[in-house]
Amino acid sequence: MSNDQASFAGTGPSIAARFVPLALVGLPTVFLLAFFVFPTAYLLSASFLASDGMELTGGLTLDNYRIVLGHRVYAGAILRTFVVGMGVGALVIAASYPLAYFLTRTTSRWKGTLIALSLSPLLASVIVRTYGWYVILNREGALNSLLLNTGLAAAPVQFLPSTGAIIIGLAHALLPYGVLSIMSSLNTLNPNLERAAMSLGANRFRTFLAVTLPLTLPGVAGGFLIAFSLAISAYATPAILGGPATETMATLIRNLMVVQLDWALGSATGAILLVSALGLLLLATAFNNRRGASR
Amino acid sequence: MISTPHARDYPWLGLKIAVVLIYLFVLGPILITAAVSFNGSERSVFPPQGFTLHWWAQAFDERWMDPLQFSLKLGAITALVSTAVGMPLAFALVRHEFPGRRLIELLCVGPLILPTLVTGIALLQFLHVLALDAVVGFRALLIGHIVICLPFSVRTIAISLKAMPPSIELAAASLGAKPWQVLCEVTLPVASAGVFAGIAFAFVHSFTDVNLSLFIARPGERPVTVAILNFLEFGFAPTLAAVSILTLVIPLILVAVLERFVRIGDFLYGGNARNG
Repeated sequence: MSNDQASFAGTGPSIAARFVPLALVGLPTVFLLAFFVFPTAYLLSASFLASDGMELTGGLTLDNYRIVLGHRVYAGAILRTFVVGMGVGALVIAASYPLAYFLTRTTSRWKGTLIALSLSPLLASVIVRTYGWYVILNREGALNSLLLNTGLAAAPVQFLPSTGAIIIGLAHALLPYGVLSIMSSLNTLNPNLERAAMSLGANRFRTFLAVTLPLTLPGVAGGFLIAFSLAISAYATPAILGGPATETMATLIRNLMVVQLDWALGSATGAILLVSALGLLLLATAFNNRRGASR
Repeated sequence: MISTPHARDYPWLGLKIAVVLIYLFVLGPILITAAVSFNGSERSVFPPQGFTLHWWAQAFDERWMDPLQFSLKLGAITALVSTAVGMPLAFALVRHEFPGRRLIELLCVGPLILPTLVTGIALLQFLHVLALDAVVGFRALLIGHIVICLPFSVRTIAISLKAMPPSIELAAASLGAKPWQVLCEVTLPVASAGVFAGIAFAFVHSFTDVNLSLFIARPGERPVTVAILNFLEFGFAPTLAAVSILTLVIPLILVAVLERFVRIGDFLYGGNARNG
């Protein structure tokens, strides 16, 4: 009995209690090692090996990376991916800051509903939300029929496929992440600092620029980086709103793995994507920790 | 509050207008898709011309019902398995101090922070190397979905376990309850909000996934998201709008129903947004 009590409290483990965590974590750990860690490690090592189609032929080489980073089409797709990521990050911040500011400051009794509404897109598949943009932007779509009916355009405008459409679609899909990040930053802000600025004669606008915005910059940076990181690894949106001329890393990987069956190049592109996305998220975590430290 | 909005508070008024526009941006595409699904015209014209249920009738054809059912089955099994497997893991991580704990914590967030797309191609390649290509389809999808949903189950259950004071377990134990009684009659009921939230999040994550399923689905064994994506390669049909709305409504209803019993939204905001 006392052993069990000790293990519940997490202090002074006896020999029997020491095996309890092992039994609890055993199965899930083995599962994740087998189907997540090993495959990912295999992918990373395969990107450094020579291969033919789907089969490895052995021999350490950097050729896969040389081809992916050297070829005009592949390198162009990688570059475009980063442009898209940055554009999405900027658009997400621009739209989610006013929303987050309003949601944390409003005294409306609909506050809870409004917060839920702004986060509800998280419940819908990216594919459903992107499909909405396809309905709006395609050649015979809602926006074009509106433009033609109102006489604002004489002929249908071609909105798709384009990098701009991809950026708008992804920013729409990733907006909740920006709202969450900035809202948590605004919530930890000491309201007395804003009151102090206003009592010293600063108007609301000046207070925002001199106090609120600088103090919530870590949340802005965090939201930007999370949106950036998720944008570069998204497949559905560039696949639906883009075309062969607007390939991104994700659609390139799909092409290499499924259509061209060149798994070595696919693995190398996957490795580049993995390292970029991980690096951005680590940077976002660093900003979050700095916010915690400065409080 | 910092300042109460006044009638002549122009910055606040400006902000309100901006917020309305942003909500239009957020909800517009979804509302327009819904409108087009009832549109009398074959094209996605706006404003809609006429009203028809034709596209919805087509959406309920087995062509779309099969992948939808497949997604529901995959999501349900994924949610139950990853919760069952994640619960002991969350319990060990919160309640026990053991060597390698940090490492296992890291392992648990791994699938969440690495791009799902890369996890998908890694799994595809790995199964091929093991000569398990035959597994591709439902079984491989189930494995992959459990991998990417496990972090959600572990995280939400861990949050609710952390929120529970260990003293109530000690109290039960000191009153003579056996360890399994403490677990079944104290720990699990108190942590049930986290368990249900974990099931919901895992289901929604599985149901809405594209990036992983894309690589390990096969014709006849593919979730509805992949089916929509494949169909879009041939072009547009208003049926797709109806199917899209249907796939959007299912997780929404699930979460709305669950929200009546447990405040699963709290787990999403990390518990600090409601009383900001």
